[in-house]
Amino acid sequence: MLSELDSLKITALAALDAAQDESALEAVRVNFLGKKGSVTALSQGMKDVPVEQKKEVGAKLNEVRTAITEGIDTKKLALQAAQDGKAVEGIDITLPGRPGAGVGALHPLTQIRDLAIRTLRRMGFALAEGPEIETEWHCFDALNTPADHPARNEKDTFYLPDGRLLRTHTSSVQVRTMEAAKALPIRIIAPGAAYRRDEIDATHLSVFNQLEGLYVNQDVSLGDLKGTLEYFFREIFGAGTAVRFRPHFFPFTEPSFEIDVKLEAKGKEARWIEIAGCGMVDPAVFAEINKARGDTLFDPETTTGFAFGLGLDRLAMIMHGITDIRHLIENDVRFLQQFAA
Amino acid sequence: MQVSLSWLSTHLDLSSYTVPQLSDLLTFAGVEVEGIEERGVATDKVVVAQIQSFEQHPNADKLSVCQVDDGSGTLRQIVCGAKNFKAGDKVPLALPGAVLPGGFAIKEGKLRGVDSLGMLCSGTELGIGEDTGGLLIMAADSPVGTPFNKLNPADVLFDLEITPNRSDLLSHLGLARELAALTGLPLKGERHHANASTSTKVKAAAEEQIVIKAAEACPLYTARLIKGVKVGPSPEWLRRRLESIGLRPINSIVDITNYVMMEMGQSLHCVDLDTLKGGIVVRLASEGEKFLALDGLSYALQTDDLVIADSERPVAIAGVMGGGETGVTETTVNVLLESAYFAPSGIRRTSRRLGLSSDSSYRFERGIDPQQVQGGSELATKLILEIAGGTAEDVVQVAGAAPALVGEVTLDENRARKLLGTPDMTGDEIRAILNKLGLTQKSASEHESQWMIPSYRLDLLRAVDLMEEIARVIGLDRVPSRQVAVAAPVDAADRAYDFAMNLRQTLASRGFFEAQTLRLIADAQLADSLGGGQGVAVKNPLSEDHTTLRPSIVPGLIATAALNIRQGLHRLRFFELGRVFLTLPKGGSREEERLAVLLSGPVSPTSWHGREPQAADVHELVGQIQNLTRTPLEVRPVKENSANYLLTSELRAGNRILGWIAQLHPARAREIDARHPVYVAELLLSALRQGSTGPTKFEELPRFPGMTRDVAMEVPADLAHAKVAAFFATQKHPLFVGAEVFDVFADPSGTKIAKDRKSIAWTLTYRSADKTLETAEVDAAHTAILTALEKTLPATVRR
Repeated sequence: MLSELDSLKITALAALDAAQDESALEAVRVNFLGKKGSVTALSQGMKDVPVEQKKEVGAKLNEVRTAITEGIDTKKLALQAAQDGKAVEGIDITLPGRPGAGVGALHPLTQIRDLAIRTLRRMGFALAEGPEIETEWHCFDALNTPADHPARNEKDTFYLPDGRLLRTHTSSVQVRTMEAAKALPIRIIAPGAAYRRDEIDATHLSVFNQLEGLYVNQDVSLGDLKGTLEYFFREIFGAGTAVRFRPHFFPFTEPSFEIDVKLEAKGKEARWIEIAGCGMVDPAVFAEINKARGDTLFDPETTTGFAFGLGLDRLAMIMHGITDIRHLIENDVRFLQQFAA
Repeated sequence: MQVSLSWLSTHLDLSSYTVPQLSDLLTFAGVEVEGIEERGVATDKVVVAQIQSFEQHPNADKLSVCQVDDGSGTLRQIVCGAKNFKAGDKVPLALPGAVLPGGFAIKEGKLRGVDSLGMLCSGTELGIGEDTGGLLIMAADSPVGTPFNKLNPADVLFDLEITPNRSDLLSHLGLARELAALTGLPLKGERHHANASTSTKVKAAAEEQIVIKAAEACPLYTARLIKGVKVGPSPEWLRRRLESIGLRPINSIVDITNYVMMEMGQSLHCVDLDTLKGGIVVRLASEGEKFLALDGLSYALQTDDLVIADSERPVAIAGVMGGGETGVTETTVNVLLESAYFAPSGIRRTSRRLGLSSDSSYRFERGIDPQQVQGGSELATKLILEIAGGTAEDVVQVAGAAPALVGEVTLDENRARKLLGTPDMTGDEIRAILNKLGLTQKSASEHESQWMIPSYRLDLLRAVDLMEEIARVIGLDRVPSRQVAVAAPVDAADRAYDFAMNLRQTLASRGFFEAQTLRLIADAQLADSLGGGQGVAVKNPLSEDHTTLRPSIVPGLIATAALNIRQGLHRLRFFELGRVFLTLPKGGSREEERLAVLLSGPVSPTSWHGREPQAADVHELVGQIQNLTRTPLEVRPVKENSANYLLTSELRAGNRILGWIAQLHPARAREIDARHPVYVAELLLSALRQGSTGPTKFEELPRFPGMTRDVAMEVPADLAHAKVAAFFATQKHPLFVGAEVFDVFADPSGTKIAKDRKSIAWTLTYRSADKTLETAEVDAAHTAILTALEKTLPATVRR
């Protein structure tokens, strides 16, 4: 029996050695250790072994069984390791990835508007809005723009048959906000569409996008206006950006300024680019609002404020070097996908 | 406005300023410089030369070899390509070393083997804009050797944008006055040309000579008669002045009136006295009155148009345009020179209504200085006498009086410091600024000063107007920057913005492109609208492509799809967030924010992984919308309200209408050459947002495992999924958690299942909060629900 066990061990280990895959290995296990396997059969013969040999044969039997079991385990690990090594065989990792649902993009105007809004929110401006179909009073009269002002005619402004108009600027939101205000300060920004009766060409749209700002409080000064807008444009265009304020005229602010920033176009010398209009709220605007409200929340003796407005379409064009404004309304995917985040 | 530096320089000596410095000076005074054009040559190396002789170039048919006298005593040989000269002509010669406009440097050289020691020039080469198709032939008496710029002074033309409040800058004198104030340079002449005085007496006009019947529109009218003039071309200096700023010389009288307007801002009008019938009447037109203007057109006037008339007819629309029958011509002998002040609003109204804008109306409608009316008349008279001869009547006839448009303004200097943010600015500095701008200080206390405003500064009426002047002069460099942040409470607009921005980012990350289309759409696009509302028509659209404020965003997305299809793109994923405009049944309108989505073509972009992915169906879009809304979505088919759609359905969450969904009708899809079905949705942002307010409340996770049971059933083919879902949603069995559909099968051929039947399969989940369920408990619950199912729905459960 002992010699039988020895030769069984040799046979089994040779079979293990010869097994090339996991199923061959399993066959070896079944042949030797399975219910009908050779080792199992010999162990069943233990009962016939004389008592004095039982200990020795038993030890031998265990030794053989352990050797085969360990052999199988070792071989199994070796086979798995060989298989694992082949797991990535034939894969060309340089192929393009699966597109999934594909990549979309936010419209560049949305992106620039959001950048502007985030920047101004950091300075404590809250959002405000107003209707795009406006009354003449909100769009013009309340903004110190006389009835015979050049902008107030059907050549330049869209009107509705009922006498209302499509707001020519987001400045009407200033009026809406001041009309409804419960207390000072007012510190708002209003992004929105505005309309002018312009033929659409490379630099004009009849519907365009503006961002309006208004801060009204006791003792707001030109210094506040300057500090706020310098900060804003340096956040947008970079810390070192030169910003200048040129005196200008708007009916609803006094003094009024246009703002230029000095920017480099690709391969060209840096030049001043007009980017926004601003000024201190004209006391006539406060007076008109008070009249409409029937109170003196905006006491012209103590209340001051600044307002500003900028064209978001223009800002997007300057920022991205877009040469034709019509790209912004055509939504050609070849254009839009350039702005994928 | 075109402004000539050489003309300005007749009023003040600007030679110490470079052109860029002047440009900056104007810019920071609030006058935008929109263009700068340098004319003529500054160099002395372009001189007058006389062509002594010329001959054909030996090697070139088109060239001549000229011998010219440059005044040096020796003849100079120049090769020249022009043909328009003859021996003896005087022409400009650029000597070697000269640099011509555009940076063109002249050198000695050979042309086709022949020496050429300079260049003979044309007008354009010298930047004086006169191209006569060859050399500039100069006057025969031009002295040889004289620098060209002595005879044709170099000039710089500024194209300026004068803001509407600064009508006082619409003349060379006005600008010179401003520059004098800003630079401290002295003005050379008298401010109002009062020294041009040619008369001794000013006299109220007799009624038969001038009657003003519209004193509000014309407070002041003056007339001067000049007899015996000889109208002809203007002298060289006058022609050059007008041409330099782009005005065409006409005849001496007309040119003089134009000159005075550009010199001092006073618009004048001359009529041929002999064509007048009776005295001058300044009156409002009668309704429908005809006026034959000098542009040859006849205008129908209204009762608020101001006219200058004789006893029979209007001879001018006041301040806007003269008449065709009474204007000054070459044959005019006697002239009536009008100088007046017309109120701005009337001029503006008339000019706009008739679509007639002139240099004259431009000035009147912005407001002129009433005090310059007589000065303008005087200057014009003086020039007419000098240039056209004749005799001026000694008397200026005046009707009305110059209105006082400005007066005294009191400035609280402390308020000025506060508004400007310049606490350190001294009273002396403030007063010095106002003084140099021509304001006269009347009195002052510690922090207050009273100021007389000069008559030409129509924009200075209030204290804040003076503060603006101070800000303009000191510039914003002087103002220290200050930044305040104020805590801003979040309000509705902020929440709406954040919500919309989240939606945008979600859709973009799912492969959708954000579009922004024009809110004004064409009538023809209205049938593409979703939601059934009516847009808002504009009264005065610019073109038929943009007539109506959109009642729906989808038409814009369909146009976007069409544009991209034309570029060869057939996988379309677009969305747009924005405003729509709805006409209300009882009048007025409502504006509302919406989200529109358009989807067509393969569910994923094609790639190297085998076949083209399948085209999206309507369920793809429903799924996309469902993923945005978070609350369970009910899709309820509704009546089509446009022939452009199929499958139109309302999207609902409970009682809220969230929006609509539809498939573009194949006929409409073919019109835009769509290769795949096109699906659209439009959602109401406010309704979407209602489902997402407040923080999410956490729900305890189940502690015990649930068990599932599948059920397959046969139902009529037209039984909507929604009916089955509604059944499960209302089951109240305590162990029943919910159910989900996992298979829908129909066989149009009728082989595997009857044509009018379909098979659907659902998975039902059971769970108890207190314990792990026994199989028997689940079976009992399941049986109860299936029994109810068969009772409620026309369903046969497969057991």
